[in-house]
Amino acid sequence: MVKVRKTSKPPPDGWDLIEPTLDELEAKMREAELAPHDGKRKVETLWPIFKIHHQKSRYIYDLYYKRKTINKELYDYCLKQSIGDKNLIAQWKKQGYENLCCLRCIQPRDTNFNKKCICRVPKEKLEEGKVVECVHCGCRGCSG
Amino acid sequence: MSISLLSNTYNRQNWEDAEFPILCQTCLGDNPYIRMMKERYGQECKICNRPFTIFRWCPGARMRFKKTEICQTCSKLKNVCQTCLLDLEFGLPVQVRDEALQITDTIPKGQVNKEYFTQNAEAEMALEQTPQPYGQLAKAQPPSDVLMKLARSAPYYKRNQPHICSFYVKGECKRGEECPYRHEKPTDPDDPLSNQNIRDRFYGVNDPVAEKLLSRYKELPQLETPEDKTVTTLYIGNVVDIDEQQLRDHFYQYGEIRSVTVVPKQSCAFVQFTQRDAAEEAAKESFNTLVIDGKRLTVKWGKPPSAQGSSGRPGEGGVFETNYEPVPGLPTVVPMPSNELKTDFFGLSSSSSSSNVGVSATTTSFLPPPPMPPPDLGDYTSSLSYGHMSMTNPSSMPPPLSSLRTGVHYPSQDPSRVGSTASHGKANE
Repeated sequence: MVKVRKTSKPPPDGWDLIEPTLDELEAKMREAELAPHDGKRKVETLWPIFKIHHQKSRYIYDLYYKRKTINKELYDYCLKQSIGDKNLIAQWKKQGYENLCCLRCIQPRDTNFNKKCICRVPKEKLEEGKVVECVHCGCRGCSG
Repeated sequence: MSISLLSNTYNRQNWEDAEFPILCQTCLGDNPYIRMMKERYGQECKICNRPFTIFRWCPGARMRFKKTEICQTCSKLKNVCQTCLLDLEFGLPVQVRDEALQITDTIPKGQVNKEYFTQNAEAEMALEQTPQPYGQLAKAQPPSDVLMKLARSAPYYKRNQPHICSFYVKGECKRGEECPYRHEKPTDPDDPLSNQNIRDRFYGVNDPVAEKLLSRYKELPQLETPEDKTVTTLYIGNVVDIDEQQLRDHFYQYGEIRSVTVVPKQSCAFVQFTQRDAAEEAAKESFNTLVIDGKRLTVKWGKPPSAQGSSGRPGEGGVFETNYEPVPGLPTVVPMPSNELKTDFFGLSSSSSSSNVGVSATTTSFLPPPPMPPPDLGDYTSSLSYGHMSMTNPSSMPPPLSSLRTGVHYPSQDPSRVGSTASHGKANE
């Protein structure tokens, strides 16, 4: 099924180049949504959703800011259609947050002592050999 | 049927609120910078079932988060830590402490009785100005040596370890490296220590850990006093980084110390008293209870001097750890002289022994120093021989000292002389 469009206007030029990749990502997301929960922890079932969401936003961000292969119009169109997360991309523009996994991990209100998630701690500061999968999105460390 | 007291909010005045938990040092952990979470009325007390404030914290790296399990009222009733339910002073189970101090407070265990009792106890505690321990514990008691011996000297952090990963036990743990639970073999279910019940532990009834500790105490080695009454030396083991002054500071209370020797290589020390009963007292008091600088010292009697390898070595009080092999080339132990030779220093046995046998028995007693002043200490033997000579053979001329006869006897080996080994301990009268 084709994704719902928020405006009646046709998409700007350049859309045809990115549409196949976006369709693939969409399909992946749908698969993740329908995946069974057997054998997984309660929190673990949501991790693929956050991962794919990050991937989609990353694709749009990369194309516009890094590779600069699409124009502003198309970029704004993607954000308007909620293909890429506007708030997450806004964080990626900040220093230190370039690889941020998801928005939940920097929310202090979600933690017991009003701090950020453990995945935001750089690996050097964390004690040696400790593998962390953060409880929100399964991230193994997204700082630096 | 019992409804949770948390949902029954009609008795809310009975719910406990607290500022800070009552905890022991091991539960708090080794990190001085703890972050603790407080939740008002978060859980029911495991003993009295009333809602109370729970505190939750991490006792250190790789430890599970601990939280308070019983309310402050219950913990004050038994003077125990709110999480581990061990005594706050000694870290021992309630049953052990009560048996050692012979405390027989009875706290009701039945449902209604218990609620009534805790209610009243809490009201009383709120009224008193200075917090007192409840019941018989408040009586001033002499420090119990049973408890001192059984108590740990260092915190036991193995209690704070995470629980065993039950998925790992089944072979199904998918988390692998990042699994916070322990991947170890679970404890044997047949072991009586695995059936522990929080109520039993609190009331001091039927506690397998307590029973194990008490039986272990009964089998503790008891210190035997050596039969040799002259030994006043105590061997102190596990002496690491403890200096002589500290040992003196502790042992002076039992009596006058003759000498203290520390042997860092063997990490031991020898404390010699002037009086035998002082040494006995010190041994009795310090055996298995002595802790200096946080280190528990082993106290034993020193070996009596007759068990020494070689004679004539003063100064150490006659105790040696290892038996050294005889060094080749050194003179070996000189044998004691035969009875005949005890007075016959110059081989005059053929002429005088027959007549002197009777006399010799009396002359082996301690002789006054000879009237002739010895030129120097080196010549002492010769001057003494003069003295001997004057007693045994007043008529004949003293022949030159000869030790060429079989059965050499040195005057210092004479058992009646002061300074010879056997009488070492009896210097003070």
